[in-house]
Amino acid sequence: MSASQSAVRSRAEAVQVSRTFDWMILFTLFTAVLGGYHIHYMLTGGDWDFWTDWKDRRLWVTVAPIVSITFPAAVQACLWWRYRLPVGATLSVVALMIGEWINRYMNFWGWTYFPVNICFPSNLLPGAIVLDVILMLGNSMTLTAVVGGLAYGLLFYPGNWPVIAPLHVPVEYNGMMMTLADLQGYHYVRTGTPEYIRMVEKGTLRTFGKDVAPVSAFFSGFVSIIIYFLWHFFGRWFAKTDFIADDAS
Amino acid sequence: MKIIKDKVAKLSFVALLVAMTAAMFYAPTASAHGEKSQAAFMRMRTIHWFDLNWSKEEVPVNETMTISGKFLVFAGWPETVDKPEVSFLNVGIPGPVFIRAGSWIGGQLVPRSVSLELGEVYEFKVLLKARRPGDWHVHSMMNVQGGGPIIGPGKWVTITGSMSEFVNPVTTLTGQTINLENYALDNVYFWHAVWFAIAFAWLLFWIKRPLFVPRHIAVSTGKADSLISAGDKKIGMLFGVGTLVIVAASMGATNEKYPVTTPLQAGLLRGMKTYQMPEATVSVKVDDATYRVPGRAMQMTLTITNNGDSAVRLGEFNTAGVRFLDPAVHEDDTAYPDDLLAEEGLTVSDNSPLAPGETRTVEVTASDAAWEVYRLADLIYDPDSRFAGLLFFWDEKGNRQLVTVDAPLIPTFI
Ligand SMILES: [Cu+2]
Repeated sequence: MSASQSAVRSRAEAVQVSRTFDWMILFTLFTAVLGGYHIHYMLTGGDWDFWTDWKDRRLWVTVAPIVSITFPAAVQACLWWRYRLPVGATLSVVALMIGEWINRYMNFWGWTYFPVNICFPSNLLPGAIVLDVILMLGNSMTLTAVVGGLAYGLLFYPGNWPVIAPLHVPVEYNGMMMTLADLQGYHYVRTGTPEYIRMVEKGTLRTFGKDVAPVSAFFSGFVSIIIYFLWHFFGRWFAKTDFIADDAS
Repeated sequence: MKIIKDKVAKLSFVALLVAMTAAMFYAPTASAHGEKSQAAFMRMRTIHWFDLNWSKEEVPVNETMTISGKFLVFAGWPETVDKPEVSFLNVGIPGPVFIRAGSWIGGQLVPRSVSLELGEVYEFKVLLKARRPGDWHVHSMMNVQGGGPIIGPGKWVTITGSMSEFVNPVTTLTGQTINLENYALDNVYFWHAVWFAIAFAWLLFWIKRPLFVPRHIAVSTGKADSLISAGDKKIGMLFGVGTLVIVAASMGATNEKYPVTTPLQAGLLRGMKTYQMPEATVSVKVDDATYRVPGRAMQMTLTITNNGDSAVRLGEFNTAGVRFLDPAVHEDDTAYPDDLLAEEGLTVSDNSPLAPGETRTVEVTASDAAWEVYRLADLIYDPDSRFAGLLFFWDEKGNRQLVTVDAPLIPTFI
């Protein structure tokens, strides 16, 4: 658009058009992030997020934050540096979790009949909100990566514990002790997910005894810092306007 | 302006499609009906299922049935498939139409993966509780790490009633009896609702103001700092601290409510009890074996020696779950699935009792449409064209013995 043939004739109209734009862009951003982030998260977090009997104290705690801090970092980079909007992480995670809920409810439950209490998504929202708040207050990518990334990793397990704790109550089943989550995995037959591909409680953190979840969470937080940096740069690169030839900025 | 609006609208539509694809179409594997598409050599030379029994053909919701039987872990396990060192006894059903209430190998509960030995026979049982009404093909199944699922014979079972009546009561070690079908579901919804509400509040706080165009102008003209007011920062602080407080408080409350929790249980079970078949006193040598494509029949020349003290007759040839019987020697009374049973499919050129100490060379023909229906004939197109199976002999007292065969197979097309 060149200035000589402006499409709006008054300030009021300009405001109105701008607002319409807001909603369209927001909708586009939301659905694009939902689609991309959801695919990414299914491919990388996959079964750890699908099933309660994968939600352990080691690998789930480690993997989920690391692979899920990606899109929040990138969208933050775009929304903060260009628009000073501190909602990138929350918006991404809300989009992801809405997509996940649709998928779990319609396909896992509605189509395949897995009870929702075995296949609900993990809660990533506390970490996302904190990530946005830190970026807003600090106005610094480094600070957000270091403090926010670490917080994102650390908040994951406690943020999910109220949801999964009831499923970690032990039960004796035909002479074996297991958790209710293990029993769900055993009862609700998954022909495509045999028990041996379940990666839980594996690792070299044995020396920490019972306190393995905090150690895993710290480790996850540290890696999340690096991933945050990486994806924040992706986001910045992606939000460049060089692609549009006659851009004024 | 209209052009740009159209473009954004188009882009939105594309994005929506991408989102739909991602969100809507992924579903966990629901079907197990790969039995016919699985390579014939996999079915013939890995796990041999026999003495199978489906305890019922019709089960009401909430009632149970069993699949039981034995399986032989074939000694001539193909090189191209990983050995069954990590295996999982599964059932091939389309999703959780039944729940697996129990599964045992040699009397030991096997909710975990197990290590199996080549050449051994194991006894197994799977207890299924009916959940979702319908006609379902119920297979025995063994998942082998590095080898994939090995699907055993399937039989149609009908579940009657209504899924809404299904209950799954479990008593925990803390003494409560819960219904695992919907246990803790309200809690899941509650916490997700709480966090979604907080997140939406945060989003709304920002989205309600003019967004992209004016803010972009402000940022690019160096007035970025004016976009975040002191009030915004206070609200932000509130959300940040509030999040930490809610996480800490809800975690504390949860630990108080559920003082006893344990980590997920996992690990490999070794040393599974094997099943001892009676010692075979018959030895069998395969002189040659051919498959006649037009006749849908396999013909083998066998030299059989009876080293025992009772005369024997060949009654059954079983391969990949398809059973060829000589009705003069053995008849099936277990209601084995029709499509897998050739009641008169086995003919032996001379099947008179083979006396102790005697050796005889006979022509054995196993013919049935199942060769084609179950695509076992595809064996001749496999890179390693060998067949394998189980021969069952009966002596005068009705004792059964099992002998395995494993030999090259030559196809004939005329
Ligand atoms: Cu089937």
